[in-house]
Order: sequence, then C-alpha cells, then structure tokens
Amino acid sequence: MTQELFDAMRQSVIDGDDEEAIELAKEALADGIDPLEAIDGGYVPGIRHVGDAFRTGELFLPDMMAAARAMQRAIAILEPEMLARASKRQVVGRAVIGTAKGDIHEIGKNLVGMMLTADGFEVFDLGVDVSPERFVEKVREVDADVVGVSALLTTTMVGQRAVIEALKAAGLRDGVKVLVGGAPVNRAWADEIGADGFGEDAVDAVAVTRTLLGV
Amino acid sequence: MRTAATFLGESDRERVHDASLRILAETGLRFHGELALPLLADAGAQVDAEAGTARIPRALVEAALATAPRTFTLGARNPIHDYPLPSPVTRYAIDGTAAFTIDFDTGERRYGTRRDSTEALRVLQEADMAVMAWPPVSASDAPAGSRVLHEFTGMIRATSKHGQHELHTRAQVPYLVEALSIAGGGADAVRRRHPWSVVYCPVAPLVHDGPMLDAYLDLGILDLPVMIMPMPVAGTTGPAGLFANTALANAEALSAIVVFQLARPGRPLIYSSATGSMDFRSGAYLGGTPEVGIMSAALATMGRFYGLPATAGGCTSDAPAPGPEAVIEKLITMLPQALAGADIVIGFGEIQGDQALVLEQILVDNELAHFVERLIEGIGEPAAPDVATEVAGVGPGGHFLANPATRRAARSREFLTPTLIGRHGYEAWRELGSPSMYGRARERVQEILAGPVVDPLPEAIEAELDRLLATADAELA
Repeated sequence: MTQELFDAMRQSVIDGDDEEAIELAKEALADGIDPLEAIDGGYVPGIRHVGDAFRTGELFLPDMMAAARAMQRAIAILEPEMLARASKRQVVGRAVIGTAKGDIHEIGKNLVGMMLTADGFEVFDLGVDVSPERFVEKVREVDADVVGVSALLTTTMVGQRAVIEALKAAGLRDGVKVLVGGAPVNRAWADEIGADGFGEDAVDAVAVTRTLLGV
Repeated sequence: MRTAATFLGESDRERVHDASLRILAETGLRFHGELALPLLADAGAQVDAEAGTARIPRALVEAALATAPRTFTLGARNPIHDYPLPSPVTRYAIDGTAAFTIDFDTGERRYGTRRDSTEALRVLQEADMAVMAWPPVSASDAPAGSRVLHEFTGMIRATSKHGQHELHTRAQVPYLVEALSIAGGGADAVRRRHPWSVVYCPVAPLVHDGPMLDAYLDLGILDLPVMIMPMPVAGTTGPAGLFANTALANAEALSAIVVFQLARPGRPLIYSSATGSMDFRSGAYLGGTPEVGIMSAALATMGRFYGLPATAGGCTSDAPAPGPEAVIEKLITMLPQALAGADIVIGFGEIQGDQALVLEQILVDNELAHFVERLIEGIGEPAAPDVATEVAGVGPGGHFLANPATRRAARSREFLTPTLIGRHGYEAWRELGSPSMYGRARERVQEILAGPVVDPLPEAIEAELDRLLATADAELA
C-alpha cells in the first residue's frame, strides 16, 4: 500500500502535477507515514528521474520546473509534521538567493532557485531588491552553503560586490560560496569582485554550485 | 504600392485588446514607485496600497488612448533628420544599453565604455536607414550615479539624429533637464521640437519599476516623448504562446500609456515592444527568432490599431559572433515588422541577445534594411510607358542592354545596388583578397572614425555639458 503511494508520488512529480502531489502528501500524513520517508521514497525518485531525463535531452526545462514546483508544494504540506517530529530532511546544501539591491528583475534568480530545488538543495529565496545586510542575515540564520546574487542591469551588478563585502565584514565569507549571474555578468566580473563562481544560465548555475561545494 | 503583410487580422486585434483589458482590470499590475498609484487611485483604478497594485478599468484605458497624440515629430538636433510620426516608411534605430562591446581592434568581448558609445553613434550618423540613436552600451567607465547622464550627453555630442535614452532615478532628472536645455537651445525649444526622448520598459510580468517611472513622470516638464517598450519573454516572464504573450505585452503597454496620460494628458508616447522567446533547454532569453519577428509585427499592428506611433524591437540576434547566423536572425526579426508598417525597428548593431555591440554590424544591419526596404517598395510602376513597344523595338533574339530604360534603371532605386555585398565573379573576388561584407563594413567604420564628427556641438555648449557632468558626478555619487 505504502509503495503504491510512493509510486504515485514519484509519478506526480514526473507529471509536474502539483495538485496531485499535494493530495498524496496529505494522504501520507493521514496514513501516519513518516514525512521524511514519503519525501525520500516518493518525491525524490520522481525528481531524480526528471533530472536524468532533462540531462539526456528527453525533457525540457519547463518539465523540470513543473516537477520541482510539484515537489516543493508537496514538501510544504509535509513540513509541519517534520517539525513536529523534529526531523530534518537531508539536503545537498542550503542556498540563499536574491536579486541585487535596486534590481527587480527576478526571472533568472527564480530559474536558478527552481533548478537548485530540483537538484536537492534547500533554497531560501529573498526575492528582489535585496540589501547586502539581508543576505548576511539569512546566511547566518540558515547556515547557508552558497549565496546566489542575480543582477540584470549594469547599474545594479555593483550590488553583487556589496554582498561579498558585507559577508566579509560579518566574518561569514569563508564559510559560504558566492555565485553571481545575470545578463551583464561574466567570469571576469565574478573574478574581479571575488565571487567563487559564475553561472551563464540556470543549468550552468547548478553545475557550478555543485562543483564549488564538491557535492 | 508598398508591400505589406498582416500578422494580426482585424478580429485578432480586437481579441488582443479585449484580453489586455481583462488582464488590466482583473489581475492588475504592481507599481514600485511613489507617483503612479496615487494618480491611478484618484482616477478611479482599484488600488491596493499595501500590495502596491492597481487594477485598471477599461474607461481609464480608453481615456488615455483618447488623449495620447496621434502624430508628432521626433525632432533631431539637425532638423534635416527630423522624423514625423507616423511614417509612411519603416526606418531604424540602434539597439541600446548592452553590457558588452566586441572590441574593434582585438575582437575580444569586454564591458562597454563611453568611447564605444560615441564611436558607434558616429557610425550610426552615417547609416542612412537609421533615424534614431540610443546609447548602445552601458558606459562602465562612468560613475554609477551619473552614468546615464554621461551616456545621454555622449549621444547628443556624437550624433545629430533623434536620440533616446533612459534615466534611473528622480535625482538624475534636474541634471538631464539642464543638459537637454543646454544642448537644445532652451527648455521651450526642447518641448517644442522633441529632439530627445526616453525609453521605458515595464518589468514583465505586470510590474512597473519605481525610480525609473517616477523619473519619467517628472520629465513630463520637458514633454519628453516616451517610447513604451514591454519585454515579456514567451515561456518565462510571459505566457508561452505568441498570441498570449502579445496580449500581455499589449496590456503592459496600455498600463504605461494610462499612467503617462493621467500625469500629463497629451504627452507624446510611442508604442513599442521588445518581446523574446526562451531556449526551452536552458531557459535563456532569445531575441533572434521568427517568433519574435511575428510578435513584434503583431504588436506594431496593435500600436497602429490604437492610432499611435508604432515601433518595434527587432533586427535582433543571439549569435555569439558576427556572421551568417547574425544576418539570418536579424533579417527574420526586421522583415515582419517592416511588412507590418512599423515606424521604426530598433536593433541595429548588436548581437548576443542585445548584449554586445559590434561596430561593423551597424553598417551590415543598414545594408539589410536597404534590402528589406527594396522588397517592400514592391514592383512599382512600369518603367517604360508602353512595355509592348519597348519589347517590339528589340524583337526576338535581341537585347535590352543599351535601351534608354535600361540606362535609367542602372541609376534608379528600382534595382538596388548594395554597398557592402560584393558582386564580383569568383576569380576576381579571390584576386581582391576574398573580401567580405563584414570586411567592407570594417573599412567603412575606419573611414568614418578617421573623419571629423558630423554636426559637432559648439565648443561653448560642450564646455557647459562638461561642467554639468562634473557637478552631477560629485552630487550623485
């Protein structure tokens, strides 16, 4: 019975069917199934399948996004019970992301967030127009492994440097990798401001993050 | 008669309009600034101050469309370049604010500078199909706080054609007003002649930038025309369908029209767009696709549907380097807009999805524009008054080489003579060193840059602008 439920969870992620994924999460809770087991036995195999099919070119990015969203929403249903049981999900790493101060263009950052989620990261999205102080605060709060700062404009990319400087000032720089991205950003800029990595697109950003963290 | 094509039929224009009105009235938009929401609330829009959103009813859209001017002239510092709107022909503008330049000497990609912008606009001055300038790169060597002012004034110095650019904050407004007044012979002359304008891009989906919109509303004191350029990308920041993305872009354009007309009824506005498609593998923005050509043409048609000056982004390419891919993509993203009768297509000179300036590309694009224009001019009137008589005069087996009509044709616009594309036979081409279109463009760029600046500003005005920029550098730091 449980295996059937897990299979259905896997399929809901593959189908990108978030409503079904949510319903199955509720069903698991009603049946008293450990939420961690539901995630690892049901949803994670689904997202792995989608990730593999994406890498081989069988699936497209929107398929990956839909799968990640379905998984995210299902996990959100399971989270209160996880907290109640004081259990913590194993994640590949914790990422804090946001757009640089003054920049409200968020599509690139959103893509990276979804891709990291799909790849097993726990993502804390600070949204748009984020101050360096807010980045620092969140990095400290969640003990982040990586920070991603996005900027679409040449005038706001200086905010990426400001985040790095703020992390240094807070004594957090050595404990966290910094990834930068956005249309005007290139590797030379990443090097100049002392970022650890640069993602040319969302797929690249995930690969670079994994390399930086050695995971 | 000019050749035309329909990319959005009459009933589809109504459907796009209706869908846009529903988006505006039912979903509404988020406004980050201080000025727009109070204007909208006073006019009867449903404003949620806490969420920063407004739902805009049909009546406000109709009122705005009624007060937006149907015709006006994009003035130029040299009046010979004035461009009345709407235009019976399609002309072009350079693309704007790329981050990078392909260095003319080294071929390496690097961040753009003030000098790059100046050089590009001097080349644009000589591009006869171009009627509008825009600083093509962001000047990474200028101070961040006053950078747009350096870019704006650099454009004014480098070209006497109509120029558009942007501002980012209200604090920059007084400096721009002063700069334009200095260069344009006083504020009244700037208001009357419209030699410069600003370009405004809503942030898709359905978001309006705060500081930029507020600055543009302040600039109403100079009656600066605003080119409204929504940029939804089908599949990421817009719905993944050409019709749906067109409707979203149109809704965003209408929302901006409403705000600008509420603030200053009668302010000249230019309908435009710069839509995109997505790479379904990486999620990256694509500008050089047939779908972008179609959406841009459809949106230019919507601009005409509203009776507004109608322009469109285009002549776009995602190619990593100048060459055949760039030419194919640029042609397929300028021809539809021109066939749809756009007043201006904006996109000369850049590749890599509007992110890299290439000086030679400005002239290659100008050549493409000539080819497009020739196509649109169509078959025209018969050159000889009596075709049968001309043919009879030659008869079977003769030739037309020395006919008066042939001699006239060699000098006419009926047969396009390209300036960059060579028409040598193979052996001659080899003997000439295998010249290319880009190579010829390169030579021409060198000639232009070695020559004097056309229509330079008087030295006294240059000095005043320098003084103003120095003040702005210090005060906006």
